[in-house]
Amino acid sequence: MDAIRTEALTKHYTSGFWRPRPYLALDALTLQVGQGEVFGFLGPNGAGKTTTLKLLMQLIYPTSGRAEILGKPVGDVGVKQRIGYLPEQPYFYDYLTAEELLEYFAAIFGYAPAERRARASKLLDEVGIGAERRLQLRKFSKGMLQRVGVAQALINDPEIVFLDEPMSGLDPLGRREIRHLILRLRDRGCTVFFSSHVLGDAEALCSRVAILVNGHLATAGRLSEMLAFQVRGWELVVSGLTEAALQKARALGHVTGAAPLGESRYALELPLTPPPERILAELMAQGARLVSLNPLRDTLEDFFVRHVSGDARARPSTSLGAGGPEPS
Amino acid sequence: MIPRRTILTLVALCAAVVGLQAVQETRRPLGLPPGVTGNVLYVRSPEFMKRAALSYNALLADAYWVRTIQHYGGTKLANDAHKQYDLLYPLLDLTTTLDLYFDIAYGFGAVFLAEQYPSGPGRPDQAIALLQKGLHAQPGKWRFAEDIGFVYYWWERDYTKAAEWFNRASEMPGAPNWMKPMAAVTLAQGGNRASSRMLWTQVLNAADADWLREQAKFRLAQLDAMDQIAALDSVIEAYRGRTGSAPQAWADLVRAGLLRGAPIDPAGRLYRIDPSSGKVTLAPDSPLNPLPDPERPA
Amino acid sequence: MKVVRHIAVNVFKESVRDKVLYNLVVFAVLLISTSYLLGQLTAGQDMKIIKDLGLASISIFGLLIAVFIGIGLVWKEVEKRSIYALLSKPMGRGEFILGKYCGLVLTLLINVGIMTIAYYAVLAYLGWTADPATRTSWPASPTDPAMLEAIALIIVELMLVTAIALFFSTFSSPFLSAMLTPGLWDIGHFNDDLRNLGAVTGSPAAASVARGLYYVLPNFSAFDVKAQVVHGQAVPLSYVGLTSLYGLTYLALVVLGAATIFARRDFK
Repeated sequence: MDAIRTEALTKHYTSGFWRPRPYLALDALTLQVGQGEVFGFLGPNGAGKTTTLKLLMQLIYPTSGRAEILGKPVGDVGVKQRIGYLPEQPYFYDYLTAEELLEYFAAIFGYAPAERRARASKLLDEVGIGAERRLQLRKFSKGMLQRVGVAQALINDPEIVFLDEPMSGLDPLGRREIRHLILRLRDRGCTVFFSSHVLGDAEALCSRVAILVNGHLATAGRLSEMLAFQVRGWELVVSGLTEAALQKARALGHVTGAAPLGESRYALELPLTPPPERILAELMAQGARLVSLNPLRDTLEDFFVRHVSGDARARPSTSLGAGGPEPS
Repeated sequence: MIPRRTILTLVALCAAVVGLQAVQETRRPLGLPPGVTGNVLYVRSPEFMKRAALSYNALLADAYWVRTIQHYGGTKLANDAHKQYDLLYPLLDLTTTLDLYFDIAYGFGAVFLAEQYPSGPGRPDQAIALLQKGLHAQPGKWRFAEDIGFVYYWWERDYTKAAEWFNRASEMPGAPNWMKPMAAVTLAQGGNRASSRMLWTQVLNAADADWLREQAKFRLAQLDAMDQIAALDSVIEAYRGRTGSAPQAWADLVRAGLLRGAPIDPAGRLYRIDPSSGKVTLAPDSPLNPLPDPERPA
Repeated sequence: MKVVRHIAVNVFKESVRDKVLYNLVVFAVLLISTSYLLGQLTAGQDMKIIKDLGLASISIFGLLIAVFIGIGLVWKEVEKRSIYALLSKPMGRGEFILGKYCGLVLTLLINVGIMTIAYYAVLAYLGWTADPATRTSWPASPTDPAMLEAIALIIVELMLVTAIALFFSTFSSPFLSAMLTPGLWDIGHFNDDLRNLGAVTGSPAAASVARGLYYVLPNFSAFDVKAQVVHGQAVPLSYVGLTSLYGLTYLALVVLGAATIFARRDFK
């Protein structure tokens, strides 16, 4: 049984009051996510990620198509007992404290008072909310609300968690903590379905991803197997490189581009072959010193741009009514 | 879509609501002890209200005027043996204090106040007080003076006072030229039908509201009927002089050649003739009933 | 159904934290200061005025709470998106609506309960301090339990107003609801006039429309027995019973209607 399964899931919004025009938010999305997977749901803003998550939570109803979670149609109360959800930019009752909010949600799951307190306290520790847990949520910053949001999504030890942009609003430290949390969830056997517009998040965590552009599923599979994201060269930053050494390397075709960074530092573009270790060794033999070496590949943004332009050429009528407000 | 069961429940609840409302309709309304109206006017002091209104005096005056009309109309239409117009004067007082130049409130207010119970509170004294308040605010307003004269004439039957006020009105700027003769006629002839006719004709010509025009027409029709009854009385007198006995029916008078046919009143009903006394009266179902007292004609 | 209780308690908690209960302080100050002032002014009639004022304030404060919390109750959750996390928890949308409704009714009950206690306390004090001569002019005892009938009907009326506010709140903005709810309340108080309109208006079409509205619109005037109890006029229990049954049926209809609309909504 799949953890999540959608079949031709489609959502039209209508925009405009006097002359309603349909606006295609999600077009026939067919997707399966297996149990225990960490699944990245990627796409630029307005691609339909949040729409999909809301359809899975039955916060909105599909125009056509079906969606199932754990083999049951979405909205099933028994299934809701077994899942967790972090909405995008979460907002909670600002008159409650973080502790009270989690205990309230725990109560809805039917836990006894002592159990509620224990779970709330454990999860707040886990997302790094300390003494602030006794403050009303109106005093919380965006990042802290995000952490509380993650905690509330986990209050029932869910079998599947749906996280909508879990990294947004967080500082680098926070992002790292959430990343570790997702990995811990994976190790516990929990299925994680999260959306993001940042490729790096997905690369570090996901077994599989799906990429959504303008409401269409552009591609799905393992990131490492996706042609679009293969390494196509290296970026090498060195210092102490002489002009002569650079000319020689260029002549050999070992360096395809060079940008001076000042003080005899250069950012060099290397081809895939020969291996960068060899070229580096040659340069170092001539007095250069290594600053950094990074693989060169398309970013998600490059992919989007390429896909959108290709998409536009291939399918002129991408959306039913362009110009409508984009839900996010 | 919406589940069938939900729709059925909604329909059943709708039916229950309408049904219960129908049951509520049939129950006897809860009464109040006699003499208690349940009418409440929280602020009765016009002076206080004037301060509380800040700069919205005129607007508040409009609101109180609307409330006045509702109170008067609602009470008049109410099917209640103990109905009371207890708020009428306080509301008018508030209205005209908040807006001293609220001319309709003075004019119509006086008409409402003077009207006899149960069509009104029957307080000509309050009507006069209200108009005098208006005259105090706008001393040159002949209409108010005329209206005071009218209340004295029609409701108080004080023809000296009425003539005095008509006279005063005639001296005010813009007063119509019939005002002076009106004062003279009223003074000379008291409340006879000729002066009444003159008064009501002026009301009819000057009225700016339908109901006031209707009222004037009605009063004029009554005056016509009274003139006709007087004429018929003299015909009967002539018959009696000729035959020595009272006529039994209109046919007797027609046969005697004194009338061309059975006479009808201005509302289209046959006049009655009392065979024993020979007195002429309106048909009991005539809308002109009751005529004003013949001894003190209006 | 446990979910309903948790949501209801949370609504109550919200109203307490949002300092809604401060109205009670205003109520107490109003009642006590007026009774003190009136005591200086009039004799005999002051008891009637205090009773009038107290019952009117209970009803008006209750109405304010019902309308101003009721209209924002669901709208705020949707607008601030706090509903997203909540509805993903194991509950149906119907339970959410019912929970919100029960929470507001709970808030109202506690509020009206406290106001009633304060009301009777002030009346008892005034009754106790009054001289025997004044006492004989009163049509009813200062702490006449019959006034509880009026308060009971006020509560049913407020429950209906709450249901209507909640109903509007499920699909319209608070601004619109804030006009529609008191508007309906106002019309409902002129319900008897609608029935009599046929006698006044010349048009039979208008008369039958008015009559139709008379049956369909909430008849709020039926809930008002304040004048009767203050004047010591008996209000039969059957009257209270039938009116309450009417009110409860009506509110069941409105709450179910709210839940039905809410169940189909998209939260964009």
